[in-house]
Amino acid sequence: MIYYLLWPFLSILLIVLQNTVADVIFSGRLVLEISIILVIYAGFRFNLIKGVISAFILGFVFDCIAGSVLGLFTLIYVLVFLFSFFVSARLVTERMHFIALFTLICVFLEEFTVVLFYNLAYGFDILYNRPVVFLLQALIVGLLAPVFFYMMRRVEVFFYGKSAQSAERTGTGRIPAET
Amino acid sequence: MFSFRNYKTIIFIVILLAAILIVLSYNLKQKSPAWLIKKVVLEVAAPVQNILNASVKSVSDAWSRYLFLVGIEEENKNLKKKIDDLKAQLILYQEGYLEAERLRNLLALNDDYNFKFVTACVIGREQVTLSKTILINKGTAHGLKTGMPVLAGSGLVGRVIDVSWHAAKILLLIDESSNIDAIVQRNRTQGIIRGAGSRGYILKYISKTQDVEEGDVLISSGIGGVFPKGMMIGQISHVDQQEAGLFFKINVAPSVDFSKLEEVLVLIPDRNEHKGE
Repeated sequence: MIYYLLWPFLSILLIVLQNTVADVIFSGRLVLEISIILVIYAGFRFNLIKGVISAFILGFVFDCIAGSVLGLFTLIYVLVFLFSFFVSARLVTERMHFIALFTLICVFLEEFTVVLFYNLAYGFDILYNRPVVFLLQALIVGLLAPVFFYMMRRVEVFFYGKSAQSAERTGTGRIPAET
Repeated sequence: MFSFRNYKTIIFIVILLAAILIVLSYNLKQKSPAWLIKKVVLEVAAPVQNILNASVKSVSDAWSRYLFLVGIEEENKNLKKKIDDLKAQLILYQEGYLEAERLRNLLALNDDYNFKFVTACVIGREQVTLSKTILINKGTAHGLKTGMPVLAGSGLVGRVIDVSWHAAKILLLIDESSNIDAIVQRNRTQGIIRGAGSRGYILKYISKTQDVEEGDVLISSGIGGVFPKGMMIGQISHVDQQEAGLFFKINVAPSVDFSKLEEVLVLIPDRNEHKGE
C-alpha cells in the first residue's frame, strides 16, 4: 500500500529530474526518457496489476507535467508495460544486449505511436527532419537501459540479498525477493 | 506463467485502457480541460522543479560567470560602442512613439483590450517527443487562467494550457499543435503560423500570388481573440517556391530563443478597466 502512495511522488520526482537533466545536457533538443526504461523494468519484474498501475501513474504524471494532450503517454506507457510483460514471459530478459535492443524497439514504437497520433489527430506531416532525432533518442535510451537495469539489480541485491527475476518465470506473480 | 483464466486482471486492464482512451479522446475535443488532479500534479511538481532549477542555475551561473570574465575587456569596448549607437536609435524611436501617441489620441483610437502583465520565472522546460511546453511559477493565485497569452521580451511565446494554484504550463508556439493567425508586417498578408518544433514555425496558406520574401517580419493579427494584435512572432527564414500546390512552403525563425527562456510575461486582460471606460 505504501508503494502505491509513494509512487505518484516518485514519478513526479523522476519526470522533473529527467526533464531537467535533458535540458541541461541537450538544451531541449533531445529527450532523455528514463521513465520508459522504468516501465520496461516494471514489465520484466513486476506482476501484472502492480506493473499496470505503476505504468499508468507514471504515464499520467508525464502527461500532466510534460505532455500537451492528457492521456497519450498514459496509453503508451501502459501498452509498453504490457508488451514488456508478455515478452518477459516468453523470452530470457536478463541479458544486457537483449535489454538494450528491446528498449530501443520500445522507444521506436513509442515515437512511432506519437507521430501516428499527431498525424491522425491533427493531420501533421511531422516526419520531416525527425528520424535523426528519433534515432539518436532511441540509441541513448537503449544504451542507458542496461546501466539502469544493472543499477536496479545492485539495489535488489542490497535490499533483498539476491537479484529479482521475471515475475512470470517465477510462477508466483511476485518478485521472489519480496515473498 | 500468467493464466488467461485470471479474468479479473484482464477485465481490470481492459477497463483501464478504455478509461485512458476516453480521457484521450475527451482531451482532443476539449483541449486541456482544467482537472483538479492535473492541478495537484503541477502543484507538487512546481517546488521540486524550482529546487532542481535553482541548483542547476547556480552551477551554470558560476560557470558562465567564469566564461564571461574571459575576454571581457574587448566585449566591454564593443558594448559601449553599441550603447552609443542604440542611444541614438532610441531617441529616434521615442520621437516616433510620441508622434504615434499624439496621432492615436487625435483619431480617438483605443485598443480592443487592456492588459496587465504578470512576470513569471520559467521553472522547467518539458520537451517530450513532439510536445513543447514550459512550467512557470505563477498560477491561479496570481490571476492566471487557461488560454492567456504569454510573451518574452522579444515576442510571443505561447499560451497557458494548464494552471494550478502556484504553477502553470505554457504551450509554446513551436509545439506542433499550436496555431496562430499572423500577418506579414510589410504588406499585411495574412496566414497561419504553425509550430514546427526545432525548425521554428511554418507559415501556412500564403498563396503563390502573394508577395512574401525572406526577412519579412511576422506579427500576430489579433484574430481569434487569444493573442493581442501586433505582437512579434518571427522572421521569414526561407520561402520554398518550388513546392507543388497553391501555397508557398514558408519557414519562419522565431523571435524568441525558446531554449534560453528564463522569465516570461503573462498577459491578463484588464476587464475591470475596460468596463469602467
